[in-house]
Formats: sequence, structure tokens, C-alpha cells
Amino acid sequence: MMKAVETDLLVIGGGATGAGVAWDAASRGLQVVLADRGDLATGTTGRFHGLLHSGARYAVKDPRSARECAAENRILRAVAADCIEDTGGLFVSTPADDAAYADGFVAACQQAGVAATEVPVTEVLRAEPHLCPGITRAFAVPDATIDAWKTVWACARAAAAHGAAILPYQEVVRLMVEGDAVCGAVLRHARSGEEITVRARYVVNAAGAWAGRVARLAGCDVAVVAGKGVMVAMNHRLVNAVVNRCAMPGDGDILVPVRTVSVIGTTDARVEDPDRVQASADEVRAMLAAGESFIPGFTQHRALRVWAGVRPLFAATSPTSAETRDLSRGHTVIDHAAREGVGRFITIAGGKFTTFRLMAEETVDAVCADLGVRAECRTAAETLPDSEERHYYWIGARQAQAEARPVDDPLVCECELVSRQDLLVAAARRPGLDLDDLRRALRLGMGPCQGGFCMARATGLLHEAGHLDRAAANAALRDFVEERWRGIQALAWGDQLRQMRLDAWILLGVLDLEHLPE
Amino acid sequence: MDPSARMAGNDRAAADVVVIGAGTAGLVAAIRLSQGGLRVRVVAAGHGCLVLAPGVIDVLGYAPERVADPARALAPFVAAHPDHPYARVGPDGLDRALAWFRETVAPLGYVGALRHNRLLLTALGGLRPSCLVPQTMAAGDLSQGGPVLVVGFHGLRDFSPALVAANLCAVVPAPGTGVAARAATLEWPGPSGDGRPLTLARRLEDRSLRAAVGRDLRTVLGDEPRVGMPAVLGVDRWQEVWEEMQLVAGRPIFEIPLVPPSIPGLRLFDLLRRVLRAAGGRLQVGAPVTGVRHRNGRVEAVTVARTPREQVIDTRWVVLATGGVGGGGLQVDPDGTVREPTLGLPVHGVPVPGHPRVLPDPFASHPLDRAGLAVDEAWRPVDRSGRVVALNLHAAGAALTGCEPWREKSGEGISIATGYLAASAILEEAG
Ligand SMILES: Cc1cc2nc3c(=O)[nH]c(=O)nc-3n(C[C@H](O)[C@H](O)[C@H](O)COP(=O)(O)OP(=O)(O)OC[C@H]3O[C@@H](n4cnc5c(N)ncnc54)[C@H](O)[C@@H]3O)c2cc1C
Ligand SMILES: Cc1cc2nc3c(=O)[nH]c(=O)nc-3n(C[C@H](O)[C@H](O)[C@H](O)COP(=O)(O)OP(=O)(O)OC[C@H]3O[C@@H](n4cnc5c(N)ncnc54)[C@H](O)[C@@H]3O)c2cc1C
Repeated sequence: MMKAVETDLLVIGGGATGAGVAWDAASRGLQVVLADRGDLATGTTGRFHGLLHSGARYAVKDPRSARECAAENRILRAVAADCIEDTGGLFVSTPADDAAYADGFVAACQQAGVAATEVPVTEVLRAEPHLCPGITRAFAVPDATIDAWKTVWACARAAAAHGAAILPYQEVVRLMVEGDAVCGAVLRHARSGEEITVRARYVVNAAGAWAGRVARLAGCDVAVVAGKGVMVAMNHRLVNAVVNRCAMPGDGDILVPVRTVSVIGTTDARVEDPDRVQASADEVRAMLAAGESFIPGFTQHRALRVWAGVRPLFAATSPTSAETRDLSRGHTVIDHAAREGVGRFITIAGGKFTTFRLMAEETVDAVCADLGVRAECRTAAETLPDSEERHYYWIGARQAQAEARPVDDPLVCECELVSRQDLLVAAARRPGLDLDDLRRALRLGMGPCQGGFCMARATGLLHEAGHLDRAAANAALRDFVEERWRGIQALAWGDQLRQMRLDAWILLGVLDLEHLPE
Repeated sequence: MDPSARMAGNDRAAADVVVIGAGTAGLVAAIRLSQGGLRVRVVAAGHGCLVLAPGVIDVLGYAPERVADPARALAPFVAAHPDHPYARVGPDGLDRALAWFRETVAPLGYVGALRHNRLLLTALGGLRPSCLVPQTMAAGDLSQGGPVLVVGFHGLRDFSPALVAANLCAVVPAPGTGVAARAATLEWPGPSGDGRPLTLARRLEDRSLRAAVGRDLRTVLGDEPRVGMPAVLGVDRWQEVWEEMQLVAGRPIFEIPLVPPSIPGLRLFDLLRRVLRAAGGRLQVGAPVTGVRHRNGRVEAVTVARTPREQVIDTRWVVLATGGVGGGGLQVDPDGTVREPTLGLPVHGVPVPGHPRVLPDPFASHPLDRAGLAVDEAWRPVDRSGRVVALNLHAAGAALTGCEPWREKSGEGISIATGYLAASAILEEAG
């Protein structure tokens, strides 16, 4: 007999949107199950650019999105402060940008309620010495950076505190339909293959770029277009604030400081299969060249890692062009009862990370209306776990923690300052997790050495603590090397290649990983 | 002289040979040249890979199957890889170079033979082939299997005895053999530490801390005839530490190499430096070479970046031993161009534009990995058409084309053999 679970609401997809829906619904008193086929935040959410939009980027082209971002930016700063670093943002006109755009930009920001103030160029250059000295104008906006992993887990923990069940590594393989309504789903565990059924009074499809596939399981047709975006992490914090080019949105025009690195992005190209996205060497070169236009000497810095994410863009009708940037970045709550006559089933499509809370609110409003539940949304006022004190994250936090660390708690990862204790606590918190989950949880191996030193250390510790058996430890190390290679393959030159060679000497030479017993 | 005139000019020095680079290849060449009676100056930007590497001398470990007998495997290997440095080195050259090396570093007591690859325990519990090993690793050849006690230290971050022993129990050194391994962990000696191998190695040089470790060790001993420990048994006073621990254990102890920085590597580097000094050679570290001056097809001087002014060293011969991509001897541009940045020498074996430089499988043999300098029979770099670049310019070590030592397990073997033979070519010419 297949194991069966009953619940009010099944949420499919544990990205920002799904986690937000779970948090919102659970806090309104619904019984919630949240399932993702992988770990939480491993879809687009875990591969985004890291920017909590002020709305300025959309002010000219998409005022509605701009207004939504501006409002959500204010709310998230209040409820998710621990996930946010208040870097501030800048829009700069480089010599290559049309100076007239700036006037329209300011007016549009004003209209959309985005605070944009012009700052003297000399002042900006003092604060951001790497910036192109030829910039002609600069505007400060309340952009910030936000940690996807922390945010999603904070939402999940908040949901769990309201009684929700969080089920990572559970893929929805079938939707159950009874009469004219969806009544649950069959979930298959990604590792064991074991299946369970979840009977639910309502199902929300928050599968992002995969939402079209999930909708099809109930015979519904949702045209979600996957738009690939490439990002490259550089090994320094080249800027202190988020820097945007003050021009019509284009490729490689935003540089985001993320902890110890900075990330340039991004591109936008339609892809058929959201599971098969790779950044090409040409795209990387294009990104670096774009960086050169506002950070002179950009290409001389070491590129650490490249990755791609897929935007879930919703098209009312399937677009044919390869260009997806013109599709709306807005979101749509699709009620399949009205659309195809399939009840108790909603797809939430499109949107941005910045607006995940709003998307969740609108979705759960619709669910509640349908179920006849009268409960107000509380997420605009309920602070997330660890954000109660409303302190922003700051770049020195890990350093301060490391300095306060007892001397007998040695560092496992020097780049990201992760200690032995940090690792063991994280492992104990989530039994059954793998090295890759931990890597995301702690940013282990994400710094300049890219795991060359720390992964073998971490594996040994986890084995000793009983979290990984021998074969799993070896497999985890090999997986890690392969995973990391995907992110650096396209960057085989300069100092990065030098680091890759050193890592090859350590992992293949000294440790001879390739010939470890299975 | 008027001091301002001096400031404007440059420092001048002279040598018979300038060796660029202080890695294995550079130091080996410099020692041999000094022993041959030439005045040698080694100028190096940094310390090279020696202090990172575990101090074991790999000759040929995989081709691509595991090699049991490098002497025998050499001929088919160079037949399959005609551009490999070993094709020029030859079996006789390798033999002479390694014999010379063992004698030169006698105080470290290197053991091993070209006819037999030892199977060394890795810090993850796998086995890896290597040819010559220092005395402290001599008892660690596991090619016949047998019981082993693996001893670590609480808090030492690069060594997990439990994982090492677990993996070791699963390896098959040779058909029908196996290793019965058991793990034990000793207390970190003295006040709690930072988990670094170097800190621990220094602690073990302290007699009373060492005595405590010895007492601890005695309590974990069993029937195993040998004990493996991480390579932290002393830095300068390793002999004393290692011998005393063996005495306590009443059985051989072998060191297991760790990830960088490497203590056995430090010992080897330190010894080579002392041997060089004793032979009359000079070593300048922190001295990047910026170029050379040519005249009539020969190099007549080497320029070195120094503050406040550049140094010019007049010389009769130059040995370029600046290493591979890791050492800074080769550089790759974003467009895939590979450069020899110090002297701008022609680089061979570069993947043609439009072809992949690296492959999707991290463990694969990547097209870019074999790029490097090609040399003539006197170890002089040549251009595409095989013409010598300069009559008195020689090259050795990881900068050479045709090899991928971290996969073949041939790193120090190539550096020692080519450093030795490049020096021999110069000595022959010097008469
Ligand atoms: C390159 C790029 C940069 C971006 N930068 C920013 C930015 O700086 N700021 C910003 O605000 N927004 C940004 N965005 C947009 C933002 O990242 C996304 O809109 C947002 O993360 C989408 O979240 P989501 O939860 O809807 O989707 P996802 O995070 O993709 O979540 C969907 C989840 O569904 C799961 N799933 C799929 N199929 C199944 C199934 N059958 N069963 C169970 N689970 C399933 C997937 O595993 C996945 O975890 C960026 C997007 C891209 C592509
Ligand atoms: C982590 C690691 C582990 C290893 N493990 C093993 C092993 O187990 N077994 C094995 O056999 N081999 C091993 N090796 C390989 C071995 O150490 C190297 O292959 C070999 O020593 C290369 O030596 P080299 O002298 O050619 O170059 P390097 O050691 O790279 O030395 C190059 C030298 O040139 C200098 N230099 C570069 N450019 C300039 C310039 N312009 N001016 C002046 N100086 C310059 C550098 O500063 C340095 O001193 C390992 C290497 C590493 C990094």
C-alpha cells in the first residue's frame, strides 16, 4: 500500500514562490504540504542574480512591475531583514549610454514611487573606486541584495512553525483528478524512488519554469517560456552597491556585490528545456566585455564561476521569437477552473524573486476564496525566523563570528569562514542531507578556492559524525568535483585556470580521487 | 659615483648560469651545475610547487592503467606519446637522474626503484602509485596489502582516520590481497590548536608534548605490524620525531601525505636549498625575471625586477624552469592563446581556436593540458619549425609540452630528469 497523506493545500515547487505560498497559507491556518523534486531553492531561485529590486530597473518599461517591486522591497526589508544586505543601488550613465535616458528614468521612477536621487559623480567615484571614471550621471536607489537560500528556508521554517510539512526531494509525478477537480498528487522520492500520495483539497502549481509541465499533468496548457540568463561571479567585491547601467535593460548591465564576490549578469535567450541550460564560453566572454563598459579592467579580474538560470516567463499566447526580454516580467495567477474547467488547481506563473511574497498573497487569496476560508494575509507583517531583530545581514558578519569562535573549532572552509562546528550543526539540523545541500546551506566551497581544499575536509568530518557512510562520502566528493567543474569549465584561463590546476594537483594528484574505491 | 646616477641606472651582476625558477627543476639544475664548477644564480619569483607537493617522486603512475613497473612501462608509453618529455629523457637518462637525486638528498633517505611503483596511502584512504619516497614514508608501500593501524589527531582538519581506514578496507592492492585497517585518534598535543598540520608538526618537535602523544599512542596500539600517521612528524627535527615515535610504537611508522602546504615538501625544499648553497650556488627568491637581452643568437643577460631598480645579470647560459600553468610559467588568455610570459617563447600543443580547451568531464584528459615548450636534444626551446630560439637558452620542468603529470603521476620525475639533463647539456658544452 502506498503511503497516503491528507492536507488542505499541496504546493508544488520549493522556490521562492512556492515557499512563499506555503508560508502565507500556513499562517492563515491552512494545513500545507510543500514538495520539491530537489532540495528547496535549487531551481531558478537558487541561481538568480541576488538582487532585491527597488523597482528602478522596470520604471521606464514596465511601471506596474516597478511599483510592485518598490512596495515589496519595503515589506521584505521589514520581514526578512536577516536575508538582506542593505548595499544600496546605483544607476550610472556610462559614456556609451544615451544621456537623455536618465531624464526619462528619473521621471519614471518618481511616477512609480521608486526613490531615485541624483548623486554627484565625484561622490560616487569615491565610494566606488572601480567604477568607470567617465560616468556622466549617477542615481542612488534602494536596491539591495537578498540571499535566496536563507529566504526560502526562512519561509519554510515559518510555514513549518504553523504546521506545514516540508518535503524536499519529492517530485510530483502525477496529479489526481476526480470529476472536474484536482484532488491530490503522487510524489516520488528522488533517491529512494518510493511513492506517496498526497490528497489535497487544493493544489498550487509553483513550479517556475517547469510549471507548464506540471500543469500538463492535469491536462492543462500553460505557456511558460523559459528564458535563460547567464551570470559570472568575479573573485572580488568590485563594487559596494548594486550597480546598474542607466539605459534600456540589456545584457550584462548589472553588477551585484554578493558577500565576498561580485556577480555580473545577465542575458536573456529562450530555451526549450529548462533542465538543459549551459553557459557557453562566448556568453561568458560577452558578459566580461559588458563588465568592461562600467568597470575598466573588468576582464583582468578573475572569473570564479559561471552559471545560468531560467526565467519563468508567462506568455498569454506562445511567443515565437527567440527574444524573451520583451515578455512581461509580471506574474499571473491562473485559475484553471475558469480557464479549462479543472477546479481546485491554480498555477502561479512568471514574476520575480523580489515579488514572491505578493505573488503568494494573491495566490492564497484566490485559494481561500475558492475554499470559502476567510482569513487575511499576514505575511506583510509577520517577520520571518532570524529576522525578528530587523538587523540586516552585513558582510563582516562571518568574520565577526569567526573571531568569536572558540580556538578549538577550526575552520573547514577558509574562503567562506565555515568552522567544523558550523558544519556539524548544519548536518545535524537536516539529517539525510548530502554534501551539495550543505554546500548551499553554508556556502562551503563557493569562495575563491572553489572547494579545492575544504570539500575533502568536510567529507571526512561528516563521515566521522556518522552523516555519510564510506561509499556515500566518496560519491559525494566525486559529485562535488563534477558539479563544480560545470561552473568553471567555461572559465579556463588566467588565474582561474591556475587555481584549477592547483585543485587538479590536490584532488587528482595528491588525493587521487579518480581511483578511490567505489 | 654620484648616487643619483646610480639610482637611474641598474644593478649589475654576473654568473655563468642564471636559472629562472626555484621549483624542483630549477633547484636540481642549479645544484648539478654548481657541482660541475659553474657559478650559478637562481632567480625566482616565488617558491614553486615543492612546498605544496608531498615530496614523493612520481615517475609514471598511470598510462592510463596503473603502472606497476615504470622502467618497463616507459618504452610503450613514449611510443604512444612521442611529444612527452620522457621521449627525450629516455630510460638511461631517467636512471641517472634519479640515482643522482637520491644521492644529493641522502639525508632524507629516499627509497624506491624504477622497477617498482610503491602503492602509497592517500589522505582519503585510497592507494596511489609513486616511485621514490622519503624515509618517513618507506614503510607505507601497501602493494602487498596487510593490516595497518591508521592514527590521526583530534581536530587535525586535513586527515580523518575513520574515513581513511574505511576506504582502505575496501581497496584491492593486487588480486587476492586486501588491507585490514583500523582507525585511532590521538589528542591534539598542548593547548587546543587551529587544526593546521604545520602547527601540529611544530608541537611534535617539543619533547614534552611529544611524550604525551607517545603515551597516547601506546594505548591505541594493537597487532598491526605498521602504523600510518599524517605527514606532520616534525619539520626541521623530523628525524628525531619520527624515530622516537617508532620507538614508542615498537614498529615502523609511515607518514601519509596531506594537502598543501606540505611538510615533507618543506623538508625537501629546505634540503635542496642547503645543498645548493653548499655547492656554491646562490638563490634569490622574490625576484621575478622580466626578460632577457639577446646578441648574436645568444642570451647575454637576464633582467630581474627589483626595487628600487632593475637588476641585470650577465650570463653565459640560462635555464628556464618557471613551471607550468600552476607555477606561472605558462599563461592562458581568455581567447585560448597560451603564452610563455617570461621570455615570450613559442608554445606548442595548443588546441586550435574553435576547438574545446577543456572537456565536460573533469577527470578527462583536456586538450589544453599538454601545451608547453618543445625542446631540442640539448633541452633548448624551439619554434614551430624546430629552430632553436637561442643557442644558450635551455628549459626544464613543468613548462615542457606533451605531459599531464597530475593524471600520469609523473610530476617530480619529469622535473628531476629534465632539470638534471638540461644541466648536463650545459656542463658538456662548458667542457
Ligand atoms: C538569470 C536570472 C536572474 C534573475 N535575477 C533576479 C534578481 O536579481 N532579482 C529578482 O527579484 N529576480 C530575479 N530573477 C527572477 C527570479 O529568480 C525568479 O522569478 C524566481 O526565483 C522564480 O522562483 P520560483 O519559485 O517561481 O521558481 P523556481 O525557483 O524555479 O522554483 C520552482 C521549483 O519547482 C520545482 N519543480 C519543478 N518540477 C517539479 C515537480 N514535478 N515536482 C516538484 N517540484 C518541481 C523545481 O525543482 C524548483 O525548485 C532572475 C531570474 C533569472 C533567470
Ligand atoms: C599541490 C601539488 C601536489 C603535487 N604532488 C606531487 C606528487 O605527489 N608527486 C610528484 O611527483 N609531483 C607532485 N607535484 C608536482 C611537482 O611539484 C611539480 O610538477 C614540479 O615540482 C614542477 O616543478 P617545476 O620546477 O617545473 O615548476 P614549479 O615548481 O612550478 O616552479 C616554478 C618556479 O618558477 C618561478 N617563476 C615563474 N615565473 C617566473 C619569473 N618570471 N621569474 C622568476 N621566477 C619565475 C616560480 O616562482 C617557481 O619558483 C605536485 C604539485 C602540486 C602543486
